[in-house]
Amino acid sequence: MSRLAFAAGKPVSWWYESAAPAQQDAIAKVLIGGFNASHPDYSLSIDYRGSELDKQMRVALLSGNGPDVVYTAGPSYVAPMARAGQLLALDDYAEKLGWNKRILPVFLEMGKYDGKLFAVPKTYETLGLFYNKAVLEKNGWKAPTTIAELEALAEEALKAKLVPFASGNAGWRGNNEHYVTIALNSIAGPENVYKALKGEIPWTAEPFVAAINKLNDWWQKGYFGPDYFSLETEQFFAQMAAGKSPMLPSGTWHFQYIQSYFKDKADQCGFVGFPSADGLGGPVYALGVGSTLSIAAASQNPDGAAAAIDYVFSPEFYSAMNSVWQGEWNTPLVDLSMVKISDEVPALYAETMKTLGDAVAKDQYGYTSWTFLPPATDTQLINGIEEVWLGRSTVADYLAQIDATFQQEKADGKVPAVPAR
Amino acid sequence: MHRLYLIPTLLINVVIIFIPAVLTIALAFYRWDGIGMPVFVGLANFRQLLADRVFWMALGNNVIWTAIFLTVPIAMGLLAATMMLVARRGSAFFQVVYFLPMVIATAITARVWQGMIYSPLTGIAGLVTRAGFPVPNPLTQPSTALYGIAVVDLWHWWGFLCVIFFAALRQVPQEQIEAARIEGASFWQMLRYVLLPGIRPTITLMMIMTIIWSFLVFDFVYILTQGGPAFSSEVLSTFAYRSAFYDLAVGKAAAVAVVISLFGLATTAVYIRLQAKEFDQ
Repeated sequence: MSRLAFAAGKPVSWWYESAAPAQQDAIAKVLIGGFNASHPDYSLSIDYRGSELDKQMRVALLSGNGPDVVYTAGPSYVAPMARAGQLLALDDYAEKLGWNKRILPVFLEMGKYDGKLFAVPKTYETLGLFYNKAVLEKNGWKAPTTIAELEALAEEALKAKLVPFASGNAGWRGNNEHYVTIALNSIAGPENVYKALKGEIPWTAEPFVAAINKLNDWWQKGYFGPDYFSLETEQFFAQMAAGKSPMLPSGTWHFQYIQSYFKDKADQCGFVGFPSADGLGGPVYALGVGSTLSIAAASQNPDGAAAAIDYVFSPEFYSAMNSVWQGEWNTPLVDLSMVKISDEVPALYAETMKTLGDAVAKDQYGYTSWTFLPPATDTQLINGIEEVWLGRSTVADYLAQIDATFQQEKADGKVPAVPAR
Repeated sequence: MHRLYLIPTLLINVVIIFIPAVLTIALAFYRWDGIGMPVFVGLANFRQLLADRVFWMALGNNVIWTAIFLTVPIAMGLLAATMMLVARRGSAFFQVVYFLPMVIATAITARVWQGMIYSPLTGIAGLVTRAGFPVPNPLTQPSTALYGIAVVDLWHWWGFLCVIFFAALRQVPQEQIEAARIEGASFWQMLRYVLLPGIRPTITLMMIMTIIWSFLVFDFVYILTQGGPAFSSEVLSTFAYRSAFYDLAVGKAAAVAVVISLFGLATTAVYIRLQAKEFDQ
């Protein structure tokens, strides 16, 4: 440790995943610069560890090392770490620093293990339907509000030689689960997903069979296009922006791409909650937590780490970061009235986040697989759906495998906390 | 006193190879999520593997991979090395060209093939398709994904074998080659009766190493397809990786590692036996 670092304050280390150069600039300016300027006693540093962050973190914590601020890929990663005593209980900090009042209660519940708080979410997200307004207007189409309308629009798109859904998984195979999550919540319904997560009904129940059958129908009809396994995330977003696909079913993290790919026509990108099946009463906002923040039990500077986490949950930070980088720092603040996002950011982003916040506050939300399923069940959900799509497995077998893995992990205590509805 | 010279090597081997190997074997008998305390489960991990269809698919893919790499690159390498030996002119240049893919980082090679050759958007395959001759991306079809990856690995690998074989061929006594030439041997007769018997130990060693390396293949598969689509290109190492780091089943992954090691051990045993026979002769 250099003398300069000591002079600048007690070090606080934080390992981050991969970030593009512009995103690293935002972190340097808004997070590191902002925190260090307002906390002269501490010196925050961010170390970029790439897509293998969680593996490196696991090994580091196991050996008693690692950063002060522990960044995980979601609540399902927190429970095993908390159980192994690698994380510090945050209850005292939550009380002292006012997190209990500032953070939406449902998210505090999700970070608990054995009644103690071990993690707070860095960002929360939902799935929905991006669409290209220009393409819809040109063809006289409307953004769908029901499954029937969605299918009718997709059929029209196929006739117009367009790929109905801009999608792909070449860069991130986990994209498969976005579509499965949409089907489970918007077709089977969040009540059934909740029951399955609590172990009250199996994943082989009829509503889930119908949901996956519908998803498989969409695949077989070509809604996902012929190049699904070849396209990376940025590529399929660019295809939607270029008008080659009218719709893009995915998550709010895609807001960060709007200005890059729609350029000065950002207002041509629309977003609605994913249409839901009859009887569900409107769009279901499946709730996801893409990353969480904790403090390492072995941290030499837990107060500094708590101060850094506290800074992330300030309206000033929310305003500054979301003005330059949308979708990845959507901290679950109860009160967004103090938030001021730059006028250059499409109003759609703030509107969507407000809609999601309101839905969560009223307990009207669904469940994303990556947030609420235990790890092996989630990988089975991701990989198995390809077998269904490619005719190497049946829907019944797919759901039976998910159920068997889930029941085993549930018995092992690996299912993340599921907030009561 | 001279035995003390063994200590540094022994120490390195014990710390870096022996202890991790023993720990891996031990872990195969435990259930462990990689974070908490391991729980002893006896042979449960192995029983779980035997009942796992993806494990058998991965094992089958490893066998196919071994068969490909035991034949195609060795044949290509032998042929090119022999041709360089017969027609010496330009052999230095061709050695460099053939060897070049070997010195490019695996991740870069894989990404180049993925994005600039196979991709329907940015690759040559896409260019040809747009010209009216549809070329599907092999990495996206369950029936061709494994072979699509193998082509990339072959491209980067065969030149290495070629250079090794060329070096071995240059050790074949010149008198034998000259004698064969004077006798009027054709290229194929030269290859069959003089050159191949002359470098048989090198070929055997490369084949043994190919079998061992084939069961360790990971990088190209992971970068290009991550074992997909639908597990069609899954191999034992990607299966172990997924078990350890995605399913948080480190004990199961260790059991797969033990299976991989068994194939390596069996192959090494065959090699040592062959060597012993050669010494006896």
